[in-house]
Amino acid sequence: MKSLFRIGQVALAECAGAVRSRRALVILVLYLLSAVFCMMGTITMLGKMEAELATMLQLPESERTGVVSATLWKSKPFQRMIKAGVKNDLVYNDIAGRHPAELVYAWFAFMCAPLLAVLVAGNRVADDLRSGAVRYALVRITRLEWTLGKYAGQVLMVALALAASAVGAWLVAVFRLSGVGAFELLPAMFGWGFRAGLYALAWLGLALGVSHVTRSGSRATAIGFVAVALCAAWPGILKLVDGWLGCPWIHHFDAIVPSSAEMSLWRRGFVPLFTGGAHLFVLGLAYLMLGHAVFARRDA
Amino acid sequence: MIGVALATRDLVKRYGRRRALDGFTLAVPRGATMGLVGANGAGKTTWMMSVAGFLRLSSGTVDLLGRGPFDAAVHSGRFTILPQDSDLPLEARPGDLLYRYARMQGLSSEAARRSAAEMLAAVNLADRARSSVRSLSHGMRMRVRLAQCFLGSPEVVLLDEPLNGLDPMEADRIRRFLLGRRGRQTIVISSHNLHDVETLCTHVAFVEKGRVARTSTLEAITRATNRVTYVLAAEPTDKAALAAAVQDATFTWMDATQSLVCTFGESAGNVAAVNRSLLPVLLAQTDVFSVSSGLSLEQAYLNHSPS
Repeated sequence: MKSLFRIGQVALAECAGAVRSRRALVILVLYLLSAVFCMMGTITMLGKMEAELATMLQLPESERTGVVSATLWKSKPFQRMIKAGVKNDLVYNDIAGRHPAELVYAWFAFMCAPLLAVLVAGNRVADDLRSGAVRYALVRITRLEWTLGKYAGQVLMVALALAASAVGAWLVAVFRLSGVGAFELLPAMFGWGFRAGLYALAWLGLALGVSHVTRSGSRATAIGFVAVALCAAWPGILKLVDGWLGCPWIHHFDAIVPSSAEMSLWRRGFVPLFTGGAHLFVLGLAYLMLGHAVFARRDA
Repeated sequence: MIGVALATRDLVKRYGRRRALDGFTLAVPRGATMGLVGANGAGKTTWMMSVAGFLRLSSGTVDLLGRGPFDAAVHSGRFTILPQDSDLPLEARPGDLLYRYARMQGLSSEAARRSAAEMLAAVNLADRARSSVRSLSHGMRMRVRLAQCFLGSPEVVLLDEPLNGLDPMEADRIRRFLLGRRGRQTIVISSHNLHDVETLCTHVAFVEKGRVARTSTLEAITRATNRVTYVLAAEPTDKAALAAAVQDATFTWMDATQSLVCTFGESAGNVAAVNRSLLPVLLAQTDVFSVSSGLSLEQAYLNHSPS
């Protein structure tokens, strides 16, 4: 119980410190702006497509974007096209019929989660190790409590970024899309933000784990980006190895990268969400503990 | 002053082939203020960092407050350190930071708030509690670092160069603050300023090449109990009168410092008795500008050190 309390104290200090640091604040604002511009860009593109479609079909143009898309979304050929694109029937069935604004935000949040995690958390531990600030905490709490507190603080920080971006994207959707039920869309946006937050748990663990093994914040961030790229390439690497050596069992190792659990988070229902979330949480802790194992055995 | 607050035995810390600590053995009595004195690279900082558990020792044992080597789960709130060259988190505010540290070491919210406020006042930074650490000067940051050491009155405090970078006024304030703590807490101070060590400490350890070369009380090291130094206007001419005034004593004239050093045996009595006998004889011959007992710590250290 005492340990949990101490972890909470580190987390609060970490979150407050991150919010006050210029770097984290800039990243937070950039992330929010990216969500807003992504939503605006998609709606603008959708508007142009709808205008062209209306011209081709010699129909009067709609004043607001989304009317044609909503109709299109209901058409069977369009649904078949999307299904082929998603390549996962279960996921397709669960996202079919959802408002395009939700899906645009979800796509943005999932795509940017690794970048957000590395940019926000990549340097936090390494900088404290370099400056010696960690020592003031380590005479009061254990190294493990400090590591877990740092992680919890960064989770809070990312949650803040995701909540802000969900609100930003929601506002754009409400003002620029037709047929948007403002009060139905907001909880849905937060829901996707929550799912993206679960996805970010693993990436945060990776970024902070890497940050434990070096004393340079910029080097930690750089290594974090390399690790993200390696994770992105991981399924391809496994495929190559399988092709060369003919060992199909190697695809089980796909589970050690966060993207393997991403699809579970796109599904409706508690079970896929829970299993996917648990998988990502365990993965994040595993990455974090690998970094902590190095830190625990070295001079602080 | 009963028992030992901190004991280290045969500590060895290797960096490759170099030994930063090479059999460092030291016992710090409970309630003592001990000064660590030694050349650069002698191992003072490495010893402190090892005691705090920041460094992984190659060998040796540490016993902190009779509960084994430092373990945050056991010693949190009972032990703190002012580590050298360790910045505070730059974006934090001193008030929040001290509150958070106090909470981490187990103080209740109310006690943590009170302790943080008291410590900031003690280091004369109450008005900067809500400024960011980044905006504080080097000396101010040092004072915040000092303040965090005394949150919740821990039993053992290690201070590595605590007066480094402080202006004369603030250095004096901190000296008074530390003197006020003497006897209530066990404090170990590492400093190159021997005048500070002499002012603040009850015990001294000379550290050389990763080990303790000599340790004792300040009085014993400076021989404050069997030596009196007089700074005079001129060398006394009647040495026989001096010898007659204090028997069992030898007199040495130091030209460079215009001082007469009287070293006496037990039969001559204590410093006060010797002074009472000698001072009238000296005043009859010349002017006396100052009287001090023993060597200065600097002289004692220089006499001790082979280099």
